Amino acid sequence: MNTQNQNGYMLLYRTDEWYNRLSHEELQKLIGQNQAWFERLTAQGKAKPGRALERRGVIVSGRNGRFVTDGPFAESKEAIGGYLVLDVETIEEAIAIAQSSPGLAYGGSIEVRPMADECPLDVRARELAREEQLATV
Amino acid sequence: MNTQNQNGYMLLFRGNDWTRSLSPEEKQKVTDQWMAWFRRLTDQGKAIAGNPLEPEGKIVSGKNRVVSDGPFAESKEAIGGYFLLDVASFDDALAIAQECPGLPYGVQVEVRPVAAECPLASELKHEAQFANA
Repeated sequence: MNTQNQNGYMLLYRTDEWYNRLSHEELQKLIGQNQAWFERLTAQGKAKPGRALERRGVIVSGRNGRFVTDGPFAESKEAIGGYLVLDVETIEEAIAIAQSSPGLAYGGSIEVRPMADECPLDVRARELAREEQLATV
Repeated sequence: MNTQNQNGYMLLFRGNDWTRSLSPEEKQKVTDQWMAWFRRLTDQGKAIAGNPLEPEGKIVSGKNRVVSDGPFAESKEAIGGYFLLDVASFDDALAIAQECPGLPYGVQVEVRPVAAECPLASELKHEAQFANA
């Protein structure tokens, strides 16, 4: 994997709502830790505002989006709970930041993904065009 | 489901392997359609952000903060990119999701309301309500 990326990284929080199992005190402590963690990253210019997602939604699929089903299921460990965009240049730094996330101690996981500056479809189309050009030389 | 949301909606595009079976012409066509779709939504003020993600990545999980490879490229569930929409109703967001040019090729679009605050904070409020009741 290319470990350098100028477009930043996205942290996708995957959760099964583990926070519902915490006591009031634990929850309060974690909120404080999270806030301090995020404020530090923001002050360092490493994090941009993220968003939390509501625990409900639908999945659209099929031609013209004719299938609309409820999802994701809240109890799924794979459901995305929110995201954060990191303005750092290497995947190692993005991983280190993900590892320092206070909530990980309680459950869930964080997916670290390099952001693309252009659509992978465009890149592939260009590659194919180049191959064709070479073939005709 | 509450169908109004002032915080907007997120579209998560699932599947990052669906282009493999397309011809170069089909790929070009769907790329152009996708770009034109995003440009139109941006011009209309309905899309405020959007980004494709590289197909590779890492997953960090558990108390020991273990790092593993993922998501698997061939997964239909893998997230390939997102749009952030500034529309006020779920129906608007759904109608936009249904326009996604990748749908005929197997892409799935997850439509999620953006939350006003961190779910930890809402859980805390929820608990406090019960405690006071």
